[in-house]
Amino acid sequence: MFAEKVIELLKETERNPETIDQFNDEKIRQILEEMQLLFKMNMNDANATMDNKALWTTVQVRHSALERNKRCLLAYLYNRMNKIKTLRWEFGSVLPLDVRELLADEEYDWFTKYSSNLATYMRSLGQDTGYNGIDLTENLKPPKSLYIEVLCVLDYGKLELEDGDVIMLKKNSRHFLPTTECQTLIRQGILKQIT
Amino acid sequence: MEFSNYLSITDILVTNERIPCKFLHDLPKMGFLDPSAADDDLKAGTNAEIPIWLAESLYTRRPPLVNVELPKTYKDSYREILNADACTVDLHKLGQHFYELGCYVAKHDIKGEVGSTLINTLRQRFRMLLSASVATDSISAMQPLSASERLQAAAAARTERNLASWLQRGDCPLTTANMVANHRKRKRAEMEMF
Repeated sequence: MFAEKVIELLKETERNPETIDQFNDEKIRQILEEMQLLFKMNMNDANATMDNKALWTTVQVRHSALERNKRCLLAYLYNRMNKIKTLRWEFGSVLPLDVRELLADEEYDWFTKYSSNLATYMRSLGQDTGYNGIDLTENLKPPKSLYIEVLCVLDYGKLELEDGDVIMLKKNSRHFLPTTECQTLIRQGILKQIT
Repeated sequence: MEFSNYLSITDILVTNERIPCKFLHDLPKMGFLDPSAADDDLKAGTNAEIPIWLAESLYTRRPPLVNVELPKTYKDSYREILNADACTVDLHKLGQHFYELGCYVAKHDIKGEVGSTLINTLRQRFRMLLSASVATDSISAMQPLSASERLQAAAAARTERNLASWLQRGDCPLTTANMVANHRKRKRAEMEMF
């Protein structure tokens, strides 16, 4: 049957709607091979339709299969692209190595470009009123207080605050920090707010 | 209609369901479409179950190559059950994508009854959907719902929870971003496997 490999590919994606999977280039190669084969068979039969009109219907069936494969592959890439966009907003502009490994090279290029586009846009915001840019990835929830108490979940290392103080973020240590300084770290899962 | 969901994975999975079709023309070398056929060629007049995407595209050719027939679950006997009391039916078992599939099937139904059955079914099941979204024992309440109904119920439950927590405390603690948290969880699960 046609286009079964590509369905397997999409089902894999569907199973993990919340995370990004390893880019499956092996399966994509197989799908492209299937398409090449279909295309070649169609070329042969299309040339033969001069003698045998009945072949025309077969060509149409294969053509539908080709279009189907194309649609599924595009959908796969498009869905991954949306996830990569989310990566930029949630992990920040520098991806951890284990996430980076999940992307194909072209996808990583796309990520870099998206990231720099976003940065350019954020810098340009409010320039006419004298500000130099707003970081849109901050304050996604309305800030409630200037300082919050946080628990460190991972061994992170040193963090330099805006006033010049350097604090050590060690696992299970508690800190009382300005909200603006730690909200990105909270979103990245390094700190946890204690309420 | 055809290309409105071109990139939607759900729509692709829906159109992968098989429906019975009657072939109107000979198809040389396409014998494998009908598992019971021994020949290499598919003869006109054969009945076979093919995926919707293929059926749709062959149906829209000029002249149409296939005639689409109604799948069993949209025929009279099932429609009677659904019209009598849709809440007793386990849509998850009957067809996970009952409504979406129905939309594709409906235009091939000459009498136009499938469409009204779909609306009727949703109307009857709406209360069930609502109670599933506020149920404390959500697993058994979710069980008979179709895939899209489950999404609706889950979204409703989430909204309900958010509203409740907002009303009670009025503050929203900062949390880890969704994808980061899920990535961690998965990594931990993989680590434990080895």
